[in-house]
Amino acid sequence: MRVGACAAAVGVLTGWGEGVAALPAEARTAAGGQPVIRLTRPALDGERFRRATRECLLGVAAVQQMLRDAELSREAIAGPRTALLFVTAGAYGASNVEFIAGRAGTLHFPYTAPSALSAEVAIEFGLTGAYVILIGGPTATVDALWQAARLLQEGRCDRALVLAVETFDECESLWRRARWSLQAPLVEAAVCALMVPGADRGPVVGAGQNGALEAEVQTRAGSTLSCGPLLALALARAAGAGAATVTGTWRGRRAAIEMTTTGPAVRS
Amino acid sequence: MVAAGVVTPVGLDLDAFWSGLLAGTDGLSAIERFTVNDLRVGRGGEIKKLPPVSAGVRSRAAALLIAAAADLKTRASLDAAPERIAVVVGTALGGVEELERALAGDDSPRRALDALYDAPAHALADWLGVRGPAITVSSACASGATALGLGADLLRDDEADLVVAGGYDILCRFVLRGFDALRSLTRERVRPFDRRRSGLLLGEGAGLTLLARERDAGGRRLGRLLGHGSASDGSHIAAPDPQGRGLQSAIEAALQAAGAGPGDLDFVSAHGTGTLLNDRIETAVLRRVLGPRASEVPVNSIKGALGHTMGAAAALEAIMCLLAARDGLLPPTVGYEEPDPDCALDHVPGTCRAARPRLMLSTSLGFGGCNAALVLEGA
Repeated sequence: MRVGACAAAVGVLTGWGEGVAALPAEARTAAGGQPVIRLTRPALDGERFRRATRECLLGVAAVQQMLRDAELSREAIAGPRTALLFVTAGAYGASNVEFIAGRAGTLHFPYTAPSALSAEVAIEFGLTGAYVILIGGPTATVDALWQAARLLQEGRCDRALVLAVETFDECESLWRRARWSLQAPLVEAAVCALMVPGADRGPVVGAGQNGALEAEVQTRAGSTLSCGPLLALALARAAGAGAATVTGTWRGRRAAIEMTTTGPAVRS
Repeated sequence: MVAAGVVTPVGLDLDAFWSGLLAGTDGLSAIERFTVNDLRVGRGGEIKKLPPVSAGVRSRAAALLIAAAADLKTRASLDAAPERIAVVVGTALGGVEELERALAGDDSPRRALDALYDAPAHALADWLGVRGPAITVSSACASGATALGLGADLLRDDEADLVVAGGYDILCRFVLRGFDALRSLTRERVRPFDRRRSGLLLGEGAGLTLLARERDAGGRRLGRLLGHGSASDGSHIAAPDPQGRGLQSAIEAALQAAGAGPGDLDFVSAHGTGTLLNDRIETAVLRRVLGPRASEVPVNSIKGALGHTMGAAAALEAIMCLLAARDGLLPPTVGYEEPDPDCALDHVPGTCRAARPRLMLSTSLGFGGCNAALVLEGA
């Protein structure tokens, strides 16, 4: 199926720095044996963020980064015509561990919900449109891109933000137990793609190239789970590619979406 | 929507669930599975004994899903290539109980992965032997509605030929502690929309439906999912928007997708948690949406019977709607006795009521300003 949607901008924060230019050539070497490449807590102003968790602030910061990339004001995305699709494999883990350990106050409980992160983003930017939260690794992000394209195609929104956030530091010992299924290093990331209606037709990368960007993201960024497909889009845009095949693998399943940065998207 | 399967506190399969709802059964009881002595409230909609099919499954969350799937499979077969069958489930808690175990000293690698919120969906897909997309939605207590909507979208886009879609959640110490700390739980009876309502009680369960395209459904079907909508409040991390604007947007989006208007609705399955705020806001939204017909359209809540089953709630409520249309009976709002002027709607008090709704609306709200709505049609 072809749907008219394209990635108009991508805001990238990773443990390596801001933007894809900050990614090393080889994450494993650059990590120097560190299991987790951490993102620091963004210093955002405002009393409302006093209680917000690090992962919530990272979500807000990723949207700010996307707005800079798109040269858009925050007013341009506010309101009911912007859809928000949030994806994470485990960013809720830090809050859950705090709550289980009894280290958090009584009002912390709502922050254990994955929806807390996207709620802080929606509140900060006044987003009141369609709202979808998916849990999983890269395949979930491909699903979110597909759903965003669908919302745009149906005219249910004028633009869609696909936001992915992963943090590992607070749960590093748990992630380490599952290291047989994840390649080191684990790299924290917060990435936001702005999806807008695209042209009717555009160049699409052939199926034979499936996975090339996925491999590049893994090599250069490390394991970023749900952020991987959005990093792939950012890399494709940075390379000046008019199209990208965004793929993902998670728990033995694969998903792919062929997406142009100036035209339609095709999910497979 | 070809068929459904459930496991709930009022019945371990679809028939028992439906009988329990029609009889006005109160499925809430003292919690026995974990320690509650240190909490203000130790009651909820606990399933005391899971069906045998769940034996040996690693997590209770996966066990609930598999029990519901086993019930579903007694009513419909999954006749499609495994890679063309998808699973889409909603949950507020996923495998969080496994996280508690992992932190308590169980250091097996599998336990750590089971703690992720998408683990039960993959366990279900593996149990069913399906290889299509396995999607987990976690928009808090609105998750089940969005899962059903995404499942229908997969069919519309030809990404799957069959979809097992619905929702689940378990009662565990993690969530009970959380709601207890927020003082959201009542020490009394759950009384949705009642003047004396004082809070919710949590419940556990799973509800799954088998979705197929119209042409593939054949003669057997429960009904149709005509439209779904979602919207963010963008107003508060935990409380609903005071004017219910997000809920209204979700309802309007669902109606638009269904090609229907408020005047077409015959019945509403409300979120109806029994909290002061939710029920008042939801009533105001429904009165605005339904307009002059607001007092004519029956609006029930089944949370007085089951408790708030979180990720399962919307799926169970959608299934209830379709069974109501099938049998011409609306389950009562268990616990509703004294009208509240702030919640002035027809809340189906007392006993089940004879009525055969055609077009129905189901509404859901959740933490994080999540709102979702479904428009359903009886078979």
